[in-house]
Amino acid sequence: MTDPVRGERLLDVDGVVKSFGGIRAVDGASLRVGRGSITALIGPNGAGKTTLFNVLTGFQRGDRGSVRFAGEEVLGRPAYAIARRGMVRTFQITKALAAMPVIDNMMLAAPEQPGERFRNLFLRPRAVRAREREVREEAVRLLEVFDLGELAADYAGTLSGGQRKLLELARALMARPTLLMLDEPMAGINPSLGRRLLDHMQTLRAEQGMTFLFVEHDMEVVMNHSDTVVVMAEGRVISVGEPQQVREDPAVVDAYLGGAAA
Amino acid sequence: MEASTAPAGPAPGESLREFARGHPQAVAFSVIVLMVAILVGAYGLHEVAQSTLNGLTLGVVYALGAVGLTLVYGILRLVNFAHGDFLTFGAYMAYLVNVTWGMPLVAGIFFAMAATALLGFVSERVMWRPMRAKGAGWLHLMLMTIGLAFLIRSAVQWFWGTQIRTLDVNITDSVSFLGLRIGQTELVVVVVGIAVLLAVGLIVRFSLLGKQMRALSDDMALAETAGIDTRRVILYTWLFAGGLAGLAGVLSGALTSLRPELGFELLLPIFAAVILGGIGNPFGALTAGLVLGIATEWSTLVIEPRWKVTIGFVALIIALIIRPQGIFGRAKEI
Amino acid sequence: MTAPPPAFTLEAFTNLGFWSGVLVIAGIYAVVALGLQLNVGYTGIVNFGQAGFMAVGGYSMAILVLEAGFSFWLALPAAILITMAFGVLIGLPSLRLRADYFAIVTLAMAEVVRLVAQNARGLTGGNKGLYCEYEGASQTCFDDSWRSVSDSILGFVENFWSDPEVLLPLLLVVWATVAIGIVFLEYVQRTPWGRVLRAVREDEDAARALGKNTFLCKLQSLAISAVLGALAGFFLALFLATIHPDDYEPIVTFFAFGVLILGGLASYRGVAIGAIVVWTLLEGTRFVELPISEEKAAALRFAIVGLVLILLMAFRPQGLFGKREEMVLGD
Repeated sequence: MTDPVRGERLLDVDGVVKSFGGIRAVDGASLRVGRGSITALIGPNGAGKTTLFNVLTGFQRGDRGSVRFAGEEVLGRPAYAIARRGMVRTFQITKALAAMPVIDNMMLAAPEQPGERFRNLFLRPRAVRAREREVREEAVRLLEVFDLGELAADYAGTLSGGQRKLLELARALMARPTLLMLDEPMAGINPSLGRRLLDHMQTLRAEQGMTFLFVEHDMEVVMNHSDTVVVMAEGRVISVGEPQQVREDPAVVDAYLGGAAA
Repeated sequence: MEASTAPAGPAPGESLREFARGHPQAVAFSVIVLMVAILVGAYGLHEVAQSTLNGLTLGVVYALGAVGLTLVYGILRLVNFAHGDFLTFGAYMAYLVNVTWGMPLVAGIFFAMAATALLGFVSERVMWRPMRAKGAGWLHLMLMTIGLAFLIRSAVQWFWGTQIRTLDVNITDSVSFLGLRIGQTELVVVVVGIAVLLAVGLIVRFSLLGKQMRALSDDMALAETAGIDTRRVILYTWLFAGGLAGLAGVLSGALTSLRPELGFELLLPIFAAVILGGIGNPFGALTAGLVLGIATEWSTLVIEPRWKVTIGFVALIIALIIRPQGIFGRAKEI
Repeated sequence: MTAPPPAFTLEAFTNLGFWSGVLVIAGIYAVVALGLQLNVGYTGIVNFGQAGFMAVGGYSMAILVLEAGFSFWLALPAAILITMAFGVLIGLPSLRLRADYFAIVTLAMAEVVRLVAQNARGLTGGNKGLYCEYEGASQTCFDDSWRSVSDSILGFVENFWSDPEVLLPLLLVVWATVAIGIVFLEYVQRTPWGRVLRAVREDEDAARALGKNTFLCKLQSLAISAVLGALAGFFLALFLATIHPDDYEPIVTFFAFGVLILGGLASYRGVAIGAIVVWTLLEGTRFVELPISEEKAAALRFAIVGLVLILLMAFRPQGLFGKREEMVLGD
């Protein structure tokens, strides 16, 4: 068995199991993600991709198995702790916080803010203010990169769907991720916005060595923009490899034709 | 090509926990059996049986209130704080017929059920449907139910004042069987209550309307696409809920007395039964209501009677902490 | 809940004592509702247990003074700590629940507190309530120390105002607390901590995905609210000169919600104005001469509160000062 992951293993998943009331949504899934790679997680409906995704990011508790992120075991850790370690996720239905201004959305995401600890508000007010200034500058800069600079003061609820997608990506980047987990990033957006998102992804990978794992149904995106494809069916990983290899794997063809269509 | 290894078998002890999680009814049942065994051992079969009979009267009231509330909560996700005052309304409607107009209690019961059903119906047309059309969230609706509760209670207080009133029922005669005593009125309450609960159970389980109500409770959007006339089913649900609440109120009033706080005092134990039984599950609510009433009465064997009212609340708190989806609810990530 | 002394004449309409009483009650509700605003308006946790926190605060204070021999000034902070601990205890198992379940649990918790107060006669005096303890010829009342402070203040005021209103000191303390509360909460709201709270209000999962410990924030929000509830409980006990389970019924929490809604979600100043408006209307209508009995008049006032609540929710859910864009709760 060849290990398709080149370079350092950033994410190491082994034998994860997750059941809901008698149904095994994830039935012993394993995969590896190398640093700096773009990995796509695909599979027919009901394959367990979303559940596995949620278990990896801590939004659901796995029953058994191991998830090692940057060498540390994170299975069972709370979602916020995993995010702090550098595994940041987005959501299929964007969660831009509509009742807050865009700039607040961005500043929220910054890590290591002493002002988020209640006692620091009164014990270390200067440190709090200093970091706020830093965070604000960084937020403004990042908004410019995504062409959202002019909208900084607007409530996020007034943004268009596409703008919110960009905001969510920009916001996720504020959190200084090492591994960005994107949940169906192409869902419900027009092709030109999709291209912009993919361009951002490639730039981030090239300039910062950012690693990506995304769940996706859009095969064109998967085939043309990922290094590695992981295919799930019935709760297990049935195939891993480069897009071309996976496409021709009979097990994969079987899963898509035999089960529900993707 | 790398394939994952076959999953390892379950660790010992884990299979028992998985069984317990998958079969909460069995766990609950065993707990109850255990409780009965302990009580009988400590207090004797006669005491426990008498206590169970007494508790049944309270349980019937809880069950009737809970079934209506759970249907509304399950289908509309409406936390109806006014439900308690529906009970109060029903009790006073019966008073109107039974005492003010001097007719027999049976007439009072029918009138109360009809009037409260109408109240539920009107609230749906005038308040809940328009608010849903506006996209109101559950918190807005819940706060409105509080307002409605105030309105109903003040109306009752306006017309009948705060003094304690009683229905024209027999409170002295009692019946004995198998060495157990039960008051005549209590017996009527239990018989009527159980008969109605059985009828409701049959309707919900076997009738078309019942199936439609359950479909709406499961997934409203899906039910619409399946062609069910959701508006009609919702209206019927309110009629149902109102009628049952009215009956519960009359029975409670017959057992104790009438005062404006009657319904509100029953509200939280009824909520407890709804949650224990799994929101939206009328059978669960029915069973949980009966069990809660009986357990409340059992508690008087062990602790001083004035504390028994806390049982409902404590049960609610424990239920929400251990198993928020209820004993009969489906396992979901809450 | 007992109200200021009834008055039916026009002279009484300008009765300072009466209106002072109304303002004290409004102030007490403002303090309670400030905590509610932090919870509901800014953190998104629907806390229906404020009456319970008031009871725990009030009873702890009275029990510490009357039965454990604490000095009043020591009992106050001790009772605050007790109430805060109680809030944390309640929050730990229940904050992970869905919002509507949380509302019901907190309501049930508050009722349990009240029922314990009603039935644990040895500790809380049961249905007689707590005020003074008598040992032979001497008596200790929980508000003795407060009374002497209040009298000193009145003595000082007499230099400018020959017949000062007896409730003036309490009125000042209550509204000073409201003012400090508003300043404190508005400040905290603009901080990074406040920002996390607002994120939790709208979408807790989004905040978790960004590395925020949302559970801790919610717990802290509840604890602060418990402290405000305890303060309100103290003020109520001092105002009524008694602690009694009937004063902590769920209706108190419901009225506090009414104040919150009228003032507007996400507005702390609105809470203060809302409280004054609600109680002025409620009590001021006592002077309207209607040919109906006292009982019916009470029912009518109650009905109006219910109607106003319904109409507000239907036609102006943001209340007087709330911001429509910030209304996210209840989806």
